[in-house]
Amino acid sequence: MNENAIVATNNLSKYYDQICRVNKVNMVVKEGEIYGFLGPNGAGKSTTLKMLLGLVKPSEGNVTIFGKDWSKHRQSILKQIGSLIESPSYYGHLTGIENMRIMQRLRQVPNKNVEEALRIVRLENQKNKKVEQYSLGMKQRLGIAMAILSFPKLLILDEPTNGLDPAGIGEIRELIKSLPQRYGMTVLLSSHLLSEIEQIATSVGIISDGKLLFQGDMSLLKARSRASISIKTMDNGLAIKTLFPYGFMAEPKKDRFFFNYMSDSQVAHINKLLVDHGIEVIRIEENKMSLEDIFLELTGKERSL
Amino acid sequence: MIRSISAEWIKLRHSRIGIIILILPMISLLIGCANYYFNRTVLQNEWYSLWTQVSLFYGEFFLPILIAIICAYFCRLEHLNRNWNMVLTAPVSITSIFIAKLWVISILILIVQIFFAALYFSAGKLLGLSTAFPSETLGWLVRGWLASISIATIQLGISIRIRSFAAPIGIGLCAVFIGLGMYIAKLGLFFPYSLLTIGMGVLSQDNLNDSELILFLVMNIIFITAGSFLSIHRLKKTDAV
Repeated sequence: MNENAIVATNNLSKYYDQICRVNKVNMVVKEGEIYGFLGPNGAGKSTTLKMLLGLVKPSEGNVTIFGKDWSKHRQSILKQIGSLIESPSYYGHLTGIENMRIMQRLRQVPNKNVEEALRIVRLENQKNKKVEQYSLGMKQRLGIAMAILSFPKLLILDEPTNGLDPAGIGEIRELIKSLPQRYGMTVLLSSHLLSEIEQIATSVGIISDGKLLFQGDMSLLKARSRASISIKTMDNGLAIKTLFPYGFMAEPKKDRFFFNYMSDSQVAHINKLLVDHGIEVIRIEENKMSLEDIFLELTGKERSL
Repeated sequence: MIRSISAEWIKLRHSRIGIIILILPMISLLIGCANYYFNRTVLQNEWYSLWTQVSLFYGEFFLPILIAIICAYFCRLEHLNRNWNMVLTAPVSITSIFIAKLWVISILILIVQIFFAALYFSAGKLLGLSTAFPSETLGWLVRGWLASISIATIQLGISIRIRSFAAPIGIGLCAVFIGLGMYIAKLGLFFPYSLLTIGMGVLSQDNLNDSELILFLVMNIIFITAGSFLSIHRLKKTDAV
């Protein structure tokens, strides 16, 4: 196991009626990072997070958090985790502050934490209102306040920006980004939105159909976004045939043909060859593969992101 | 454990369960008193006769239903808004989560019992009963409370398992009728819902003899511990939905 891993799972699997929902996931979340757990809806994100919290029992494999085996140290592990899973939990007939007080009693934290957490999510002026009268965004913020109440070492947030308006999303995003530095928290958050993970996370894990397809630094994923060169000529068929003997193998697609990434001098050489053979070149373009393309390539699905 | 209990108390704020807790004993008392009042010619044993009437409706019907409602209410709070997620990820033991609920419910039932005793006393005075207030009342109330905790343990377990609010109450109602059958078949000591009938002296005000009393206590302890164990075990082993 990685030395500074806060979370480590070993072949973590979950079956429902013999259908595999989480398949041998080996997740590693290191101290101080913001780990973005990315996957389409129904990929197994929530089930995996629930297994980390003991809400769902693994069919196979095990979970180690803070270097301790989950099955043996439930309470001491939970003491240092704050979480918001699926949708925010709340007692609608109680006020915001009363909901916080329940959590405060269960977590044995001082009063100042309650005030501080409400201030951080900017609910201090709404704390005496019944939660059933809160908007979805306010409930979400209350859920985050309850999760950070004890200023835990590990914060697990499942789709934390669900239901928030764009301004709220920006605000929560900045808040999450600040948590590791301000409070020394490690954050594990899930989302089906690539753009969100891209803006917040320092590490990423991509899950699809229960399998962890990629895990590593965000920069590693971005490095995979290699560029390709696309060329459009007056006669693409002839152009491809002409370039082939020179060792350039093009892939035709629609009204142009593509090469994998090549150097500037190679592009200049191709251009010259085409012109020399009397083929008129209309466009030469560099196409950078977006993270979205990489995600689609990894998951193999054209699903909504 | 104290943390969990105190969290449960907070959940009762602004709740309307208090109204039901007050109204159901009052209804059962009013029906019982009306029955007594219109049948005074045959019901001549003063406080004891009044008890047969008020406790019949209260102990045999309204109290077990009230217990079922309170248990279903406590669980409904957790079934809504996926609150089990919050409760089960708090750093408290699963045992203390269950026992805290059972504890608070038991205290509420104790309050109901005391309230009912006060109502019984007031009603007797209003009806002009002149003999001394029966000393057995305390025993009926305490034994009734103990049997109520047995019922609460089982109802709480059912309500944790079934997400519906009404279904566990319906099951409780069926159990009440089965309990009546068990009592008549002289098997009442082996079924929690008829332990209440026995404990509260609903159908017979004769005191339990020593061996019956011991069996009564032992059976309640068995129902409470076994029921709690099963529910806690289930909460530990099954996935939160």
